Amino acid sequence: MIPEGDLLHVVTRDAISPARRAAGRLLIWGSFALLVGVALVQALNAAGRLDLGLANWRPTLYAYAVWATCLCIGQVVLKGEQGKRLVFVLPAALFTVAMVIFPLIFGLTIAFTDWNLASLSGRKFNGWDNVRQMWADPFYWNALGNMVWYLLAIAVEYAIAFGLALLLNAEIRARRFFRVAFLLPLMLSPVAVSWMIGKSMLEARFGPLARLARWLGWENPSFFGSPEIARLTIMVMDAWTFIPLMMIMLLAGLQAIPKELTEAARVDGAGPWQSFWQVTFPLMLPVSVTAILIRIIFKLKLADIVINVTAGGPGGATDTVTSFIFREYRDRSNVGYGTLLAMVYLVLIVIFMTVLMKLADRWTRPRT
Amino acid sequence: MKVELYEIAMRRGLSRRRLLQTAAGAGAAAAMGGVFTGASVRPAWAQGNLRAEILKIPGVGMGSPTDADWQKVGEMCLGPTKERVAAGEFAGVELTFMGLNNQNLHNFLFRGFLKPWEAYTGAKINWIDLAQADYNARLQQSIATGTVDFDIIEMGAPFEGDTAGRGLLDEMPDWVKDQIEADDLVGYLQPPVGTWDGKSYRITIDGDCHTFAYRKDYFGPGAIGGETVPTTWEEVNAVSKALVGKTDPLTGLAAHGFLDPLKGWGGFGFYFLEDRAAAYAKHPDDPAWLFDPETMKPRVNNPAWVQAIQDVMDLIATPGAYPADQINADPGTTAFSQFLAGTGSMLTWWGDVGSNARTSDSSVVGDVVGFSINPGATRVYNSRTGEWETPAGGVNFAPNMAYIGWGIYVTARVSGDEKKRKAAWSAAAHLGGKDISLWMSAYPSGFQPYRNSHFIYEEWEAAGYDREFVEDYLGSNLDSYNHPNAAIEPRIPGIFQYYSIAEDELAKGYAGQYASAQETADAIAAAWERITDQIGRESQIALYKASLGM
Repeated sequence: MIPEGDLLHVVTRDAISPARRAAGRLLIWGSFALLVGVALVQALNAAGRLDLGLANWRPTLYAYAVWATCLCIGQVVLKGEQGKRLVFVLPAALFTVAMVIFPLIFGLTIAFTDWNLASLSGRKFNGWDNVRQMWADPFYWNALGNMVWYLLAIAVEYAIAFGLALLLNAEIRARRFFRVAFLLPLMLSPVAVSWMIGKSMLEARFGPLARLARWLGWENPSFFGSPEIARLTIMVMDAWTFIPLMMIMLLAGLQAIPKELTEAARVDGAGPWQSFWQVTFPLMLPVSVTAILIRIIFKLKLADIVINVTAGGPGGATDTVTSFIFREYRDRSNVGYGTLLAMVYLVLIVIFMTVLMKLADRWTRPRT
Repeated sequence: MKVELYEIAMRRGLSRRRLLQTAAGAGAAAAMGGVFTGASVRPAWAQGNLRAEILKIPGVGMGSPTDADWQKVGEMCLGPTKERVAAGEFAGVELTFMGLNNQNLHNFLFRGFLKPWEAYTGAKINWIDLAQADYNARLQQSIATGTVDFDIIEMGAPFEGDTAGRGLLDEMPDWVKDQIEADDLVGYLQPPVGTWDGKSYRITIDGDCHTFAYRKDYFGPGAIGGETVPTTWEEVNAVSKALVGKTDPLTGLAAHGFLDPLKGWGGFGFYFLEDRAAAYAKHPDDPAWLFDPETMKPRVNNPAWVQAIQDVMDLIATPGAYPADQINADPGTTAFSQFLAGTGSMLTWWGDVGSNARTSDSSVVGDVVGFSINPGATRVYNSRTGEWETPAGGVNFAPNMAYIGWGIYVTARVSGDEKKRKAAWSAAAHLGGKDISLWMSAYPSGFQPYRNSHFIYEEWEAAGYDREFVEDYLGSNLDSYNHPNAAIEPRIPGIFQYYSIAEDELAKGYAGQYASAQETADAIAAAWERITDQIGRESQIALYKASLGM
């Protein structure tokens, strides 16, 4: 074999015979036909057209595994060296398909059914009924409205995180200790935060924070009594947990800024504020946007603290979309409707994050 | 207690305590169908030493029992098992047990009790521990997806429709009935509870009802709550309002009246509105009070239920009537963080508040707590006529048999393997044994008395309980169990879905998002109608009627 062509990337140039190609194609398409056949038979069995006594979908899963393996082997048989390269990526892609795409399709089929676990009649396709129910569901819209408030709180969290990052970037005593100490809340599980802080420290009568509030002159401290204060308390607890995440990202960003730049600004006569606003902050924009986007993703999933501390109350004031879906799905076993709500929320998140990332890209692009 | 006896007692204005303390009371008690004199009591005295000995572990006032205590009790109560199972007979058998971990009780006790059983029989038990709020969902999902992965389950009677109705349970063998002495159960726990289509499935380990707990230092001559303990919800509300601005005699902090849990608790919080509503809505001539049994039309928005919701809203609207943050208090908070810790003076709860009051390390009210049946109402709504009526005795009492109590059930997973089946039933029977159950009702366990033999006050006194306290505490249970107008929970599929959505709507109502109690109740009724339609109206009607014995 004479090596020629792209010698940098291709080690050998395979001379693949037509018979080998045919074998490769046969392997791939044969196993695919097996997969389709098994899936079809199982579908007929599930629909009651065939009575094979199959209790679960494992045969289809096994057929998928056989097809995936044949596909990988088939690539090498069919394409030789190029096929081997594909095999580096293909298993991961197939695994993703199995773990994400299939469940998504399964979820979509559930979302358009009337499926209450207590119903003896089981799952029934109900078209757009769940969508119509969602449209008229005040609990869902209330939870979505609350999410707007929770998202707005990120602006304050960002400001605090930036301030802390600047402090920890400065030459202060016991800097390493403070860096670790400020990270501690992030290491706690939100469930632990719910119980330790929400249920114990904020307990209205004996909790230490309630006592402190009384000492400071608040006669009857109540951290969850009114909708506004309850929402604020949840925001503070969530912020306390996740500000360290933003802080550590921003701190990493600050440490990456060359000192020469701020020194040059100082030489040019810039004061501390000008140095921060004209030099540091613009340089930190890409990191800031990344930190905020990640925080938004975390925030949209907010549920555990709400579920444990307020159960969405008072009167739904602290409810999040996730905590509402949790109640609908878990407490009321309303699987079909709960799944639809989750699917709609997923679509909303994808749209929201796509728009946000486009905008962020535009904002952080260097102006020319 | 028989209907006529109860009515005579109420007409004469005799309190239950006075009734039991008088000679007439002794006569009345003797007439209560074997509660005090029945044959079921005699075997208890025959093994009196064992019962007395286990009640000394660890001893009343000696702090909360530990795992070592549970194991010791389990070991001492192995006698009935040894009569029916040979040592090492279940070697190689592995069972999975699904239960709760509330307040570190339930499964934690079962583990301790069953450790000696495992050592003796050779079987091994794997545990699935669930929080109360997760229980319903886990069970429903297992049922619906055909993934029942447990052989033994701690389950409430409300779920019998979901499980036994679908053939998921194993029928109880006759030897188990003998071992647990099932005829010792109090009347309302006898069949049809625990049976489905005439077959027995349940080993009862608990007898649930809500009773009224109050602080004795709030009531009496010169006390801040008034001369007498409230016996109606009207009085409860009046006292709660009158206590505003006064000081708690025990803690020196602000005094409070009744503690309504205003936050949801995975559906279980709805029982506490039921406590209030039953007095107005449970008519003595009508077994139904939640739904119309012919149509499943909710009664939750009738004037009786609206009155109960209004009572709560009245207290919410009275500043200081509730402790701060009451809107965020679930039943666990009202009982364990508030009442037992010295906040508030009145509460309805399951009986474990009684046993915890004296034996839990976190209780400060052990010496000042009193009990009676749930308050009544001076008027009762008749759903058939659509009119309010004045009850015959002046007050309509309707104790709420909330949840009917926990039981141990064996699933059909073991039905095909006789050795495994016997092992599962043996483990379950060990937990439902007559002697071990006495210990469970006397110490923190999450369970309350449920056998006639639990009401032998001498045993409690010998164990170190104060006689007056124990008569008070146990008497409130006994009176509720035997009450002729008890409000019994329907064993229909999805009952907690109804409760759960009601909690959500009530939370909105309590937060002022609905214009009135009626509007709140209407929202609950509309949601209940949707659930009934979704689950299937016809099957729900049939099951509801069956559960009411109609």
